[in-house]
Amino acid sequence: MREYILRRIAQMVPTVLMITLVVFAMMQAIPGDPIITLLGDAYDEDDAARFRQQYGLDKPIYIQYAIWLGKLVRGDWGVSILTGRPVLEDVLIRLPVTLELIVLAMGIALLIAIPAGIIAAVRQNTWADYTAMSSALVGISIPDFFLGILLLLLFSIGLKGFLPSSGWVYLPGTCPTVACEPSLWGNLKHALMPAIALGVGRAAILTRLLRASLLEIIRMEYVTTARAKGLAEKVVILKHALKNALIPTVTIMGLQVGFLIGGAIVVETVFAVPGLGTYGINAIIARDYQQVQGFILLVAICFVVINFLVDLTYSFLDPRIRYGS
Amino acid sequence: MRHNALRGNTGVVGAPALGDVVPAVASRPRAESQLAQTARRLKRSKTALVGLGIVTTLVLVAIFADVLAPYSPILNSPTETFQSPNAKHLLGTDQFGRDMLSRIIYGSRISLAVGLSSVLLAIFVGVPLGVIAGFYGGKLDTVIMRAMDLILAFPVFLLAIVIMIMFTPTAGIVGAMKVIMAIGIVRIPIYARLVRGSVLSIKEKEYIEACRALGQRDPKILWRHVLPNCMAPIIVTGTLSIATAIIVEASLSFLGLGTQPPTPSWGWDLKANVAWIQLNPWLALCPGLAIFITVLGFNLFGDGLRDALDPRLK
Repeated sequence: MREYILRRIAQMVPTVLMITLVVFAMMQAIPGDPIITLLGDAYDEDDAARFRQQYGLDKPIYIQYAIWLGKLVRGDWGVSILTGRPVLEDVLIRLPVTLELIVLAMGIALLIAIPAGIIAAVRQNTWADYTAMSSALVGISIPDFFLGILLLLLFSIGLKGFLPSSGWVYLPGTCPTVACEPSLWGNLKHALMPAIALGVGRAAILTRLLRASLLEIIRMEYVTTARAKGLAEKVVILKHALKNALIPTVTIMGLQVGFLIGGAIVVETVFAVPGLGTYGINAIIARDYQQVQGFILLVAICFVVINFLVDLTYSFLDPRIRYGS
Repeated sequence: MRHNALRGNTGVVGAPALGDVVPAVASRPRAESQLAQTARRLKRSKTALVGLGIVTTLVLVAIFADVLAPYSPILNSPTETFQSPNAKHLLGTDQFGRDMLSRIIYGSRISLAVGLSSVLLAIFVGVPLGVIAGFYGGKLDTVIMRAMDLILAFPVFLLAIVIMIMFTPTAGIVGAMKVIMAIGIVRIPIYARLVRGSVLSIKEKEYIEACRALGQRDPKILWRHVLPNCMAPIIVTGTLSIATAIIVEASLSFLGLGTQPPTPSWGWDLKANVAWIQLNPWLALCPGLAIFITVLGFNLFGDGLRDALDPRLK
């Protein structure tokens, strides 16, 4: 297991390098000269040449990449043109908010998908199955940001502020500033609607997948044997069939992380959640490319790390998987 | 077999010998082509037909938008802002007094054009790459698949955002083409991987060996024998991908990174009208429902098509 983990970590290095290469290419491809933007109305040829030399922009492109990468590794992710604050510090403050949303959304997805998938499979071709599958189809088809707006209409406007329409309350111990007032209940109230908006689509996909896997597994011989032994149907399904049906579900969950990150970017803007998504979109609108670069880098690195963690969970679910060998 | 049936073992024309299986074969109906089987199964699927109905209606609405829309989608009318649905404006008007129904009708063009074209772009680039990688293997396979891994290293939506930042979003057809490129590029690896997997298995089949033994050249083998056998999963994934592409386009527009105003776009309208949601909720609901119904239509049709092409997956 330790060998597998080390090997997987080693594999992550070229992936992260590739990500930095794409982000660097993006920064180079953005129209406009950063020195002209920096100097603004005070632009002067001599000053521009001096700044180009100072920032290494007069050097060949691969040297510029090496310098840029070196700075990234040392934790110098640049300074925001808008706020004058270090980008790495800013994105790291927002990261826990986005991660909390993703974890909550995945939790909600599993909370819906596991019972719905089991009921649909066990009662195949009954009204319960049809209801679960129709709901799943609706869940897959509704964009998460539109679902967010519907929830906002219902719980914030329709029910007169039952749930807050925007903003954020930090969890105790995660406050980025001295001014904020953390609260567990307040955090849950603010996180619930964005997490539901994000989680429903994933729940729909997982329900369909779990039903299909369970239908295949409950026809297998070992399940028949379990039944022949006289085990209760509940034990057969929950103990013997579900565990194996969860393996492809975890695989798809891993693939869904990418969609969840993308969804979080949009949903955060609907509910004005101060996470990475809102930070990135505001940076794009303001054309603060140092912030944009930090946002893209961190989100992409998170995606790689989360995928690695999902890979690790396989071995716990299925003992037949021997990563170390 | 036909020759035997006519001659038989007795030497008498038309008289089959004892134990000859010919009568059973002769009485069997002609084998149905895969296309006919798929069409028959598709016709039996009510959900697929509903999906097809929705998609066909939307395509017709997009084509005949000029005829169907009661007003210009970009015509501002300062005296008619924020009107509730009424006889003159069936879905009301927005903050600039523009007719919402007309904007929804014209908005279907962007959604459908981006959805269909981005998937076609991904197929036209991804399928040949997958075929080449799978069929020839070796260094070519490694280079192509590592390039695909580079795209897959990013969350799909994030990469679409990165590409749109590089392209700089604009209005009109050029703006729509930029979105098509962005969504198409991020979907290429899906088809490359899908086709590569199928080709790896197909190229080991005996009929491919037979083609080689007959001296057929690689391009002919690929075009006539390998590609047709990969088509079913490409069609199913393609249909379902249109739904995803429409959602990604709407999400990009919602963030202000899709086609720019005044070009009507459902995602952009949804974003613009959320600000007025407390007073005029229908303004945000109309474009949102349009996106939902379109995506639902493609998902229903895609699911039906998948079941029809491979009933084992049902």
